Amino acid sequence: MSWSGLFSVPAFAEQVKRSNKRCILLWLCGGPSQFETWDPKPGTSTGGPFGSIPTAIPGVHVSELMPKCASILDKMAVIRSMKTNQREHTQAINLLNRGDNPRPPFIRPTLGSVLAQQLGHLDSAIPNFILLDPCPEGNEFKGFKAGNWAGWLGAEYAPVRVGGEFKIEDVMRLPGLSEADHEEREALRRFFSKKFENERKSAAASSHNAVYERVKGLMSCAHLFDLERLPQKDRERYGAGAFGQHALLARSLVEEGAPFVMVANGMPWDTHVFNHEVYQMVVPDMDNIVYQLVNDLEDRGMADDTLVVVMGEFGRTPWINVKRGRDHYPNAWSLAMAGCGIQPGAVVGATDPLGVDVTESPFSEKNLFATIYQALGIDPYAEYDLPNLPTFHRVEERAEPIKEVLA
Amino acid sequence: MKIDEVKTIKLPTTVHDLALAPDCKRLWVACLDGCVRGVDLETEEHFLLGEHSRYASGVHALPDGKTVISAGYDGALLWHDVETRSCFRRIFAHEFWSWQSALSPDGRWLASSTGQYLCGGYKYEPAPEREPSVKVFDTMTGELKASFEHVPPVQSITFSRDGRYVAAGNLMGEIRVWEVETQSLVSTWTTGDFTGWGIIKGHYYTGGVFSLSFGPGDDLLYLVGMGTTRDPAAGNGKQLWQAYAWQEDGFPKMAESSADDTGQGLMESFVFHPSDEWFLMAGRLESGQWNAAAFDRETGNLRASYNYKGRVCQGAFLPNGDRYVLGGGVSQGELKEGSFRDYGRVWVSRAS
Repeated sequence: MSWSGLFSVPAFAEQVKRSNKRCILLWLCGGPSQFETWDPKPGTSTGGPFGSIPTAIPGVHVSELMPKCASILDKMAVIRSMKTNQREHTQAINLLNRGDNPRPPFIRPTLGSVLAQQLGHLDSAIPNFILLDPCPEGNEFKGFKAGNWAGWLGAEYAPVRVGGEFKIEDVMRLPGLSEADHEEREALRRFFSKKFENERKSAAASSHNAVYERVKGLMSCAHLFDLERLPQKDRERYGAGAFGQHALLARSLVEEGAPFVMVANGMPWDTHVFNHEVYQMVVPDMDNIVYQLVNDLEDRGMADDTLVVVMGEFGRTPWINVKRGRDHYPNAWSLAMAGCGIQPGAVVGATDPLGVDVTESPFSEKNLFATIYQALGIDPYAEYDLPNLPTFHRVEERAEPIKEVLA
Repeated sequence: MKIDEVKTIKLPTTVHDLALAPDCKRLWVACLDGCVRGVDLETEEHFLLGEHSRYASGVHALPDGKTVISAGYDGALLWHDVETRSCFRRIFAHEFWSWQSALSPDGRWLASSTGQYLCGGYKYEPAPEREPSVKVFDTMTGELKASFEHVPPVQSITFSRDGRYVAAGNLMGEIRVWEVETQSLVSTWTTGDFTGWGIIKGHYYTGGVFSLSFGPGDDLLYLVGMGTTRDPAAGNGKQLWQAYAWQEDGFPKMAESSADDTGQGLMESFVFHPSDEWFLMAGRLESGQWNAAAFDRETGNLRASYNYKGRVCQGAFLPNGDRYVLGGGVSQGELKEGSFRDYGRVWVSRAS
């Protein structure tokens, strides 16, 4: 039996669910500059004002803004040769969240929805797909957040959005309502709702019911989303900013059984203006967050089962615009991974001396998604069971995973 | 009043700061590639005077005509011998960038500001300084004269006209004024008019005060930058100057640019005409009509404006006031045939 064929055995798929594999996506929305993070070009006409520093891997340098990640790079994997084809946010956010270009009217589920289906349990008390993002706006990301995340998988695999202003409200059972009364009411509601859904064959009703099922779950886990319950020392370690606090919350949630948590913070990486002035702050913040998260997962014995992905939707231009910023650049960019299924210390791909193009091992979004699925023990090439729809696979065209970063 | 562009001199990279040599025939420029260059304003030829390991951010010509001091994002201050074109003193003034530097009117002191914006709170308020944010050095000996505390990043700095005070402004719009000799803080206030917090793209602060200048008699302190913006990635705050009576109780705002006269974009340069009758503010145009404009000092009204179609970082008037020079640049542009175009600019103009 082939490696990919192994995944199609139902018993194996169930085993994947039981294996408690998890994923945290640190979503650097807006498009982080590779020059100020994983692929610095100091002293060149494109390098910007920051230098580079050696890492725990001999001969490999990262931006001087990331001393902490530099010290643990032998626990991580870096891909320096991402090459994608979407240079606008809306299209690129979709591309790097869904793993493929759109094929209207069909909506491919996001990575989080696929992992919620593959790694989660529908009867779980904790949501299978959690989006932590305190920023209510975010231009193109705002539009994406309001869209259809789960696609053809259905609403039960869409994210629960929490964080900052998005607290889970009104989920506590009223004092005057007994547990038994609550259960009876819930059963009656479920009966009528299901009857309505069946009779009308309504996707909207199905979605509505899925939300109610989730709320029932959230009643029992709402306390897990409370930042105040997290140890003060941990909160200080992760940094005071919203991104750090929510990354810590993500760690806590996967410890509690959440299979997929996506941590975003608006679109702070979109630095058309003040690239270096903004990156002097957001990169050290991210550096510390990744460092704390990777070490914490290792210390807790969770590193082998928890995949951490640190990426945005593209990189930024080698050249500086007149606004002292860098613009969108999908031609040659970088990302990092760590943990479950990932080869520690792998640094894959290369760009030319000015960072204009990939010179070694270009990888697409399909290669990336095949890598993520394989790292988590999920069949990258499985065909979706979609009656009356065209044939779709998790990763189309049997795109190869990036073998060098797989353990 | 009318502004005419006399000539445009192209340089390899953006000019962050400039200083006229005492004979006014030569211009010293601090450039984005770390180079400190001499530029002949007549022939337009330029040469390398010295080099920082990161962006060069400041350049100052001492009155003796023999010495130029530069500052850079490498945190260093370099003393250059103009005659031998060599660096004879190097001081590591800061652990982070020298954002801006200023020479006292008599050339005795050089002040430099620094500070890295690091996350200090849930909304990304700046963390406290890790090193003194402002330092004043003796230009003759290089010795440290004074260190002053501020909240980083401190992006702008200037001396009063009598050389007695140094003022510095930061990202959050906080201004601090110290007396150099006594090393005492004499004024501090904060304006939120220059600082944006990202509601749309990302939750962090941008903008702040980018240039400072004392007016005639040192009564007013002029602040320059960009008005508040909700979207840090847009750079679309209004072109803004404000004047404060910094020695009066409550530090009242006495004047500011009119919304009728201004468009949008970051303003970085502010210089008085030698007559003190008007001043020039310049920077970058996001939307509107101009990126450099002359304002009447008495009324604050716009007298004339011009669009240089680039980013202006610094300016200076020739002593007789008939011409001025601006330093800046245009977009680096894409790599073509293995190289980038010259994207630094010195614009020489006449205001009449």
